[in-house]
Amino acid sequence: MTDSAPEVMDGAREMVLALADDELCIGQNLAWWIAVGPFLEEDLALTSISQDELGHARALYGLLGDDVDALAYARQPHEYRSAHLTELPCRDWGETLVRHFLYDTAETVRWAALADSSWEALGAVARRALAEERSHLRHATGLLSRLLRTEAGRSQLLPLFDQFTPMACELFELPPGCAADDLVAAGIMARPLSDQRAEWQAAVDEAVASAGYQPQWPADSAIPASASGRAGQRSAHFAALHAEMVEVLSIDPTAVW
Amino acid sequence: MSRAVLAGVVAAVRRSVSQVCDPEYPEVTIAELGILEGVSSSDGGSTVRIELVPTMLGCPALDVIARDVTDAARTACAGADVSIEVTFVDDPVWTPDRIAPSAVGFLAREYSVAVRSRSATASCPICGNDALEHRSDFGPTPCRSVEWCPSCRNPIEVVGRVDMPAAMEAAPASPALA
Ligand SMILES: [Zn+2]
Repeated sequence: MTDSAPEVMDGAREMVLALADDELCIGQNLAWWIAVGPFLEEDLALTSISQDELGHARALYGLLGDDVDALAYARQPHEYRSAHLTELPCRDWGETLVRHFLYDTAETVRWAALADSSWEALGAVARRALAEERSHLRHATGLLSRLLRTEAGRSQLLPLFDQFTPMACELFELPPGCAADDLVAAGIMARPLSDQRAEWQAAVDEAVASAGYQPQWPADSAIPASASGRAGQRSAHFAALHAEMVEVLSIDPTAVW
Repeated sequence: MSRAVLAGVVAAVRRSVSQVCDPEYPEVTIAELGILEGVSSSDGGSTVRIELVPTMLGCPALDVIARDVTDAARTACAGADVSIEVTFVDDPVWTPDRIAPSAVGFLAREYSVAVRSRSATASCPICGNDALEHRSDFGPTPCRSVEWCPSCRNPIEVVGRVDMPAAMEAAPASPALA
């Protein structure tokens, strides 16, 4: 544990909860592709990535308490902190690919900013997750760059960037009551979120530049707290996603991961 | 408990948990796979602590392994007044290099599974060809990828994703978006 002040640690725990909720929602959504992926290798890839993300969620919840299941499943909807992008079902494979690219690119930046955290246990999880993230990123960028070389790929995928990028910016927001400056000052996070977001946007820009496309990025803090997943507002998709997550537990409350 | 008795209990637990086998490969022990990191006494001798290294954070077998290790440890120290603590640690990070050479040979012979590591290029477990072609980072489990052997024309499961050993070795301070 770090020796940071208690109120800084409270903020750090809020941040970890948000990251864990992102991983939980995206992992659960990717699991939908089991057995229905567009081709066998992709089926296996999305399934493996889903398991990785759920593993990351589990490791992060583990930093917050011993009862990981209670943290993952037994909170009220307004107590979740997931970014709305992660709650989208994305039942169209193109949607899944674009979201996967935006999310894993963002995650790579976020994990890197935590890898040397003064909260040592968080740093260890970040380093561990970062190592697994590279294969996710290679998978997403590999498919994206190949598809963007085709007219069909460009016409189907590029509009999804317009649709998803404003929402995706929430990945670099923190829950209210979580002072990012304090986290940086305490060495819990290496760099301000604005820096991280800028690096992520540049990486996204570069990936689609070859297709002659420039995403329209919203100004900072485009998401009002009243509509923010980080502030506890759930998107319209969360209820169904959560019901799916707790389906087994509601049949057998003693079931474990 | 005297120091000598405690050392004996720790040694017995170490022997016992070293023999716990992997759920996926039931003839290969977690010690050979590099999942067992260490066994030691803690809390002034009242606890025997067993550290395990997860192959992947999302490995679905972790709970089974932890349960089997706990059972083996309890059996080994039956009668001794100690509690057992089984922990997955994030540091060190598991890589396929942690797999013992004996297990690499066994996996190739019995399961036709190759192992990717820094110390040796993965060769085809079926025909021995060492020029496998990468097909996908994602195979039947999160820790296995898929290659193709152009010599005997078989798809080959390989333990470890392509850049896993290098990625885990690299200092993570700078982001990897290149
Ligand atoms: Zn061969």
